[in-house]
Amino acid sequence: MRTSNDRTGGPAVVADVPSHAMSTAEAGFELLGEAGTLRDLIVDTWRSRDLIATLARKEFLVRYRRAFFGVLWALVIPLMQAAVLALVIPKLARFHTPGSYLLFVLSGTVAWTFFMSTITQASTSIVDNQAVTTRVYFPRSVLPISAVLSNLYSFVPTMLILGAITLATGHGSWRLLLLAPATIAACALTGALAIVLAALHVYFRDVRYVVQAALLAWIYVTPVIYPLNAVRGIRPWLEINPVTGVVELFRVATVGADNAWLPSLWWMLAWTVALLLVAGFLHRRFDRVFVDLL
Amino acid sequence: MSEEPRVVVDHVSKRYVKYDDAPMLVTRALRWGQRSSRSELWALRDIDFTVATGECVGVIGHNGSGKSTLLRLLAGVTGPTRGRVKVRGRIAPLISVGVGFHQELTGRENVHANGTILGLSRSQIEDRLPDIIDFASIDDFIDTPVKFYSSGMYMRLGFAVSVLAAPDVLLVDEVLAVGDFAFQMKCLDRMMEIKESGTTIVIVSHNLGAIRRMCDRTIVLHKGELRYNGDTARAITVFHELLSGATDGEDLQDPAYRVMAADPGEIESFELIGPSGEPTRTVSSQDRVQLRLDVRFRKPTRDVRVGVMVWDEFASLYEDMSAKESARAFEAGDRVRVSVEFRPSLRSGSYMARVALVQDDGVVAAEPFAIDFFVTSPPQTQGGLIDVAATMSMAELAPVAKPTEVTDGD
Repeated sequence: MRTSNDRTGGPAVVADVPSHAMSTAEAGFELLGEAGTLRDLIVDTWRSRDLIATLARKEFLVRYRRAFFGVLWALVIPLMQAAVLALVIPKLARFHTPGSYLLFVLSGTVAWTFFMSTITQASTSIVDNQAVTTRVYFPRSVLPISAVLSNLYSFVPTMLILGAITLATGHGSWRLLLLAPATIAACALTGALAIVLAALHVYFRDVRYVVQAALLAWIYVTPVIYPLNAVRGIRPWLEINPVTGVVELFRVATVGADNAWLPSLWWMLAWTVALLLVAGFLHRRFDRVFVDLL
Repeated sequence: MSEEPRVVVDHVSKRYVKYDDAPMLVTRALRWGQRSSRSELWALRDIDFTVATGECVGVIGHNGSGKSTLLRLLAGVTGPTRGRVKVRGRIAPLISVGVGFHQELTGRENVHANGTILGLSRSQIEDRLPDIIDFASIDDFIDTPVKFYSSGMYMRLGFAVSVLAAPDVLLVDEVLAVGDFAFQMKCLDRMMEIKESGTTIVIVSHNLGAIRRMCDRTIVLHKGELRYNGDTARAITVFHELLSGATDGEDLQDPAYRVMAADPGEIESFELIGPSGEPTRTVSSQDRVQLRLDVRFRKPTRDVRVGVMVWDEFASLYEDMSAKESARAFEAGDRVRVSVEFRPSLRSGSYMARVALVQDDGVVAAEPFAIDFFVTSPPQTQGGLIDVAATMSMAELAPVAKPTEVTDGD
């Protein structure tokens, strides 16, 4: 995937100015045939937080306007899904869930729906915004990050409903406060994966379909409709799945979790860190090259 | 202030890799290690120039000459394969009007989104919003989704946002070629103001009229190479020549050295003569002007006829050849002055004239380079393609009798 960063052909690197010299008193940039440093890229991304917020807000407004009940849909879909599952599944199998099965399924579908819809949207974001990316420079990771943020906006009312149902069904406790770190963890994992996928999608245009297919299967290896204790034999494998950790966190906050949920949490954190490292590597290397492939 | 250039393009080359089949994750995974076949394309080769603060530089070239690649490099959206691009200060593109606008969002929301993309802070956008609304003249519609805008309003808003981003370096990409004439004039006026305020501007355009009007200096790109860098009028001539393919592959930095040794005749001088009798490059569409060339013959030549062509930046507008009956023969050493008189009934813009002496089987004498000239036409004719020299008059007619309120006695 060497495209334009020819490392051998360039003249001597001019080292006195950072590659995108935003950090000097005067704005501006200097580009050589080399990719910039990861530190510069992270600093640039941090400096683009206004842009991230604006793009997320724009995306949110667009979705909200396009469908009359745009944001309501984001609310209704996991509720409907949970309601249907809560009606059907108990007729097929009986699971030992910590609290009511409805709340158990709801907390799972809420977390899963956020993950699924965010990944679907964010993984194509660099390609989808090519009208802008081919004309203006900003760190490309801004796009998947703002996609995560825009999904978070529509996620907030869903969580309020989840909290309300938790209280209404008598499961409320101090643990509800864990919804905040659970959400942060969900965003971090989703964001890290989205930044990696968005970069891959620029090159491999079938990533969109691979992601769709993977998500279809993924939900079944995630304890959304069944508790972890129902699958003793393959349980360690399910714990490796990073989304398990997210789902379990939402469970802990609401219905109460399976007693041994911590391993899945460590796996989730490990995945998040690993994906961020891959994301950093890909974007450092290809940030200014993505556009050549659009 | 240091005299360091605002923009440095230092021996820049840019290579693109084209994949013959779109890379797919699935197939790559199935055939691990096997690379899809690909070819390389050098979009730019060893481009070297600088732009000083406050300068306005044009970049012209046909499609595929590397213009848009250069623009992307200057915008910083892509890096060079070799060499170095350096820009001091904030650079912002004059985004092709309305790019990034979302149909469902209101004018205000789009201004916010585009302004932020162009690097403005929220408060800067708020400060400039009244100006933007004013320039785009859409005050009543700023909170209406842009999908309900007329195309004129849409373009005006897009232009206003980009212009009012007020960067240190403004990159202009064909933006002046859209919209109605009044809008183009307004944009151009605004651009002149920006230029006079000391903003560095790089314009990539097909609109040679705008380039001519604004740019101190113009760069001609051809097949990824820099062919000319200097005076705008010369650059336009070079561009016209490249367009006509006459000098394809030759060094254009100094066309005076080109000798048409194969031709039996040689053009010694070639000028456009205005109504005053003096050579000129700017003529009014109302004038009668002359193309005058002096030709010296190297060998005896028969059946020589005169051909004339007038081009605008895209195509030949006019071609003519003198009648066969008037064809003449010349001896070696003969010198002759050919005059072609015409009225350039064209709208304001830049054009190129070529004259050649030809025989039925080929060119006898071709000009070393064509004359490019600028036509000015009266303001009322500027909307059309040609100036048809219309005259308008108005006469009073007998009024229609009003059915009621007839109170006067006479």
